[in-house]
Amino acid sequence: MELLKQISENLQNGFDEVVVKLTEEAVEKRITPEEIMNNGLIAGMNVVGEKFKNHEIFLPDVLLSARAMNRAMEVLKPLLIKEGIPVRGKVVIGSVKDDLHDIGKNLVGILLKGAGFEVIDLGNDVPAEKFISTAIEENAQVIGMSALLTTTMPVMKKVVDMAKAEGLYGKVRIIVGGAPVSKEYALEIGADAYSYDGANAVETIEGFFAEGI
Amino acid sequence: MRSVVDFTLEEISLPRREILRSQGVPDEADLSGNFERIYAEAVELFRVLAEPRGIIDRIELPGFEEVFRGEGLNEKENPVDRIYRKSDCLALFAATLGPVLSGRVTELFDSGNYADGYMLDSVSSCAADKLADLAAAYLQSELTGNEPSDEFLRVLPYSPGYCGWHISGQKKLFEVLHPEEIGITLNDSCLMSPVKSVSGVLIGGPREIHEFDNSYSFCSMCTARTCIERMRNLK
Repeated sequence: MELLKQISENLQNGFDEVVVKLTEEAVEKRITPEEIMNNGLIAGMNVVGEKFKNHEIFLPDVLLSARAMNRAMEVLKPLLIKEGIPVRGKVVIGSVKDDLHDIGKNLVGILLKGAGFEVIDLGNDVPAEKFISTAIEENAQVIGMSALLTTTMPVMKKVVDMAKAEGLYGKVRIIVGGAPVSKEYALEIGADAYSYDGANAVETIEGFFAEGI
Repeated sequence: MRSVVDFTLEEISLPRREILRSQGVPDEADLSGNFERIYAEAVELFRVLAEPRGIIDRIELPGFEEVFRGEGLNEKENPVDRIYRKSDCLALFAATLGPVLSGRVTELFDSGNYADGYMLDSVSSCAADKLADLAAAYLQSELTGNEPSDEFLRVLPYSPGYCGWHISGQKKLFEVLHPEEIGITLNDSCLMSPVKSVSGVLIGGPREIHEFDNSYSFCSMCTARTCIERMRNLK
């Protein structure tokens, strides 16, 4: 369909105003919100993701597209809820206690939203208890934690231990990232995965959902 | 001798290649028009908002030994321990780009201008690293005065959190240096605020003292690997 193709192409170019306008037009033309989301917006983001992987475009380009996606989703979200169409999945993210770096975590959140996930961003300086209580209250399937300091990394282990104690282990997948964090550290503390950047985090979380969590 | 220095924006180089590399952009990459626009705007905004200041305070060897010992968490074998003992001159330093820049990055993200926020953050991070070099250059010129630079003397900055000097070393460094005077504070996790700040020790001495074999146990975990470039520049 031509309109959905236009949405996808404009999203790839990061033209957020145009994408919002075309999305509204598609709604008026009674194209279902699910179809607009899947065949317009997510289709466009898939192309963006591929181009990013192939080094044809770079993170600022991806972020422009993600903004367009997010703005268009603001138009679609009430309609999707009204039609009872579930979101792709719910992810709780945050920078751990005493860590005030949040750029990496923000990027993960933006890219996850861009991929169609619902993101609950707890911000930075987040205590272990908050990750757990939010995951329970919101019925989230994934917890994502970021740390940029070696001194704050132990909070990640605390969250994993608390998840085990609360019976979430095996139900809620835990992913960690940040400059001093490594795959080995993730394994050591019992996290489900480590991601080295935002795009990889999205891919890993998509993998969790493909496996049925 | 303790000095508070207002650096000028002209002194802060913003090497495009370095900034783009930090974003994972290969040198030969074709960049989109959007990318170029965002980059140019971020550099311009940086020039408007940055407020670079530094504080440099000479310290004697015994005093620095205590600072370096910190909380006792340094790697047993580390290059800084070997380098500072051979130095002719030591000074603690801290420098910042000020609170306004970090605030603007947050504002940009909060308002959905992710690409602009990310680019400004990236430009600012590169500039913050340059502050340590400026502090080193300041001490170097203090040491050599108006005489032509001593080709054998080199001042290089070293910071807690790198090269086996544990990040908790910030605590003792702050106790002695008091960078609060220029608006830099430290939280319980040893994170500086404003975020775009640097701190550490300036070590001055013959160039060869700065050379080391980067095969310490922690080197394989290091993602920065800036020591290679630093040692290359000594020559």
